[in-house]
Amino acid sequence: MSVESNTVNTVLGPVAAEDLGVVSVHEALLSVVPGAEYAYDVTLDRAEIFETLAAGLKDFRAHGGGTIVDSTGMFHGRDVRLYEALSRTTGVHIVASTGQGPEEMLGGYFLTPQTDPPTPWPAEKFADLFTREVTEGMVVPRVERRGAAGLVATAATREGMTATDESLFRGAARTALSTGVALSVRYGSDALHDLDVVLDEKLPADRVVVGGLDRKDAVAAGAPLGIARRGAYVALDHVGTRDDAHLTDDERAALVAELVRAGFGDRILLSSNATGVAKGHPGNDLPYSYVLTTFVPLLKARGLGDEDTRRILVENPRALLSAR
Amino acid sequence: MSKVNTVLGQIPAEELGLVAVHEHIGYGMPGSELDTKWWKTPEQRYEETVPKLRRFHELGGGTFVDATGICNGRDVDYYKSLSAKTGVHIVACTGFVGGDTALPHFARADVDYLTRQFVHEITVGIGGTGSLAGVIKVGVSRGGRMTDLDKRIYRAAARASLTTGVPILTHLAIDAENAIAIFDEEGLPLDRVLFGHVDDGVNADRTRDVWIAEQGGRIGFDTFGYETELPDPPFWARPRQERLDHFLRFIGDGRLHQVLASADANCSPLGWPGVKGHTVNYIFEDLIPDLRAAGLDEAAIKTIFVDNPADFLTLRKPA
Repeated sequence: MSVESNTVNTVLGPVAAEDLGVVSVHEALLSVVPGAEYAYDVTLDRAEIFETLAAGLKDFRAHGGGTIVDSTGMFHGRDVRLYEALSRTTGVHIVASTGQGPEEMLGGYFLTPQTDPPTPWPAEKFADLFTREVTEGMVVPRVERRGAAGLVATAATREGMTATDESLFRGAARTALSTGVALSVRYGSDALHDLDVVLDEKLPADRVVVGGLDRKDAVAAGAPLGIARRGAYVALDHVGTRDDAHLTDDERAALVAELVRAGFGDRILLSSNATGVAKGHPGNDLPYSYVLTTFVPLLKARGLGDEDTRRILVENPRALLSAR
Repeated sequence: MSKVNTVLGQIPAEELGLVAVHEHIGYGMPGSELDTKWWKTPEQRYEETVPKLRRFHELGGGTFVDATGICNGRDVDYYKSLSAKTGVHIVACTGFVGGDTALPHFARADVDYLTRQFVHEITVGIGGTGSLAGVIKVGVSRGGRMTDLDKRIYRAAARASLTTGVPILTHLAIDAENAIAIFDEEGLPLDRVLFGHVDDGVNADRTRDVWIAEQGGRIGFDTFGYETELPDPPFWARPRQERLDHFLRFIGDGRLHQVLASADANCSPLGWPGVKGHTVNYIFEDLIPDLRAAGLDEAAIKTIFVDNPADFLTLRKPA
């Protein structure tokens, strides 16, 4: 594998993987619950949204950040032209994603099509929809295609993967396999099961990042270690979140140290699932720089060296995102 | 004063003329905008749409009621330009074609929120367009029974109708017992509700049109033209004569003042292929000639296409 041939699709075009710098793999820029754009009490002021996001990206860059991955997929507020302007203005690389999910977040076009009976979309149709966002460009709905998606992202229903979620996972896996972009999955109730669905599509595990592995139920089930053993990337991607469902930052730092000790330092990814601008939901109001400013010191206190943190923040995401 | 909300402002009901009461400029399921398979240039959309509206106007059509719900590609700025350039009054709706066309933001919402959404679109405006919705669309999801979400939408529509005086138009009239129970609980007079698609090929046999009319509802024979005789009929098509006979039988029972008729055609479909050759002008080119041939006089035709829709669409004094 030639190092020079490795590129990553950003909203401004392909970028050499070694230029990405510190990467945050699971973040949201503009995050809009589908339908909120039509709500009487939601306003989408582009100038204001731009200003807020630009400030967040500049802060990320000022603290050493290089690349933000908007992993919200194609139907949760993604605004490719806005992201192009943000990347040009702030100098932060922006990788935007294709994909959708879980089932509840899909439009009726995919769930109850105008056929008799209204059979939900199968995996191959999702694969085609997502693949063309990589090979032909991401859609601005009913207007045009822009640059290529750099990631395909999907998610399963929290209570457990539904049949349509499985179609999404298999379709997204086929897109990753045929285009070489990485696959991001947020599992439902069983991380290993959900990963196995995409591995069943013959996608190599090192092309997959499993998000949400700092959720307490997953940790209790031993999922972070299990996922790492399968060879997929383990995203502890709620750094900074304080709620009942997730580990605290201290517990999260301990988990990172444990994974490193177990020999899986090359499988760990960190991110905050921060929401730059949220519409129709409360969002997660953390700075994109949170991992760099607040969490990295906790890792150092746990004995991780600069080499470990560099591997987690730079080398692992670079390997994941490099198109194969 | 009798007023109706159109996309270009309020007009007197007397000016509506002949009304196509259940139509679509362009309909697509939510999410279809992501699939380039259906995309058309704006030039193509106007090319497909303007001649149909112009012909509608030339044939004597006055008003086109667009029944495209909030998440189905409803595009009020576009409707405004079409109306201004063709002279056809266009009434836009608030509401949803069915719970299964409401996107997550609305699917998660409670009755109060949905009511506020509808009232806002009727009294303040739809998005930033300044245009007021003139009808509220509700409907039954695929599967034949009202879902919990469908029921929340119906209840919110009833409250918004009572608050604003705007009427309700339904997609499908199956499971009408549940619908009417909700309207009764909310105290909405049933002549404010058009129970649509009673003539649809899939559901006609299990739609209690006579019973709904007996309760006081208005009845929509509004899928005229979706015929099994078409070269490539959709699954909801029905033999032409069978639908016509159904309609004639229904009005023959003294229910002329409770019916409305329309074609449910797409000028330029957004997320499906549409049905080639089927347009709103079926009303003039096929339906009205068929009705005359069946012996209806001009007064009866005026009742169906002018007087009944004017009475239905006129804003009622809020309760």
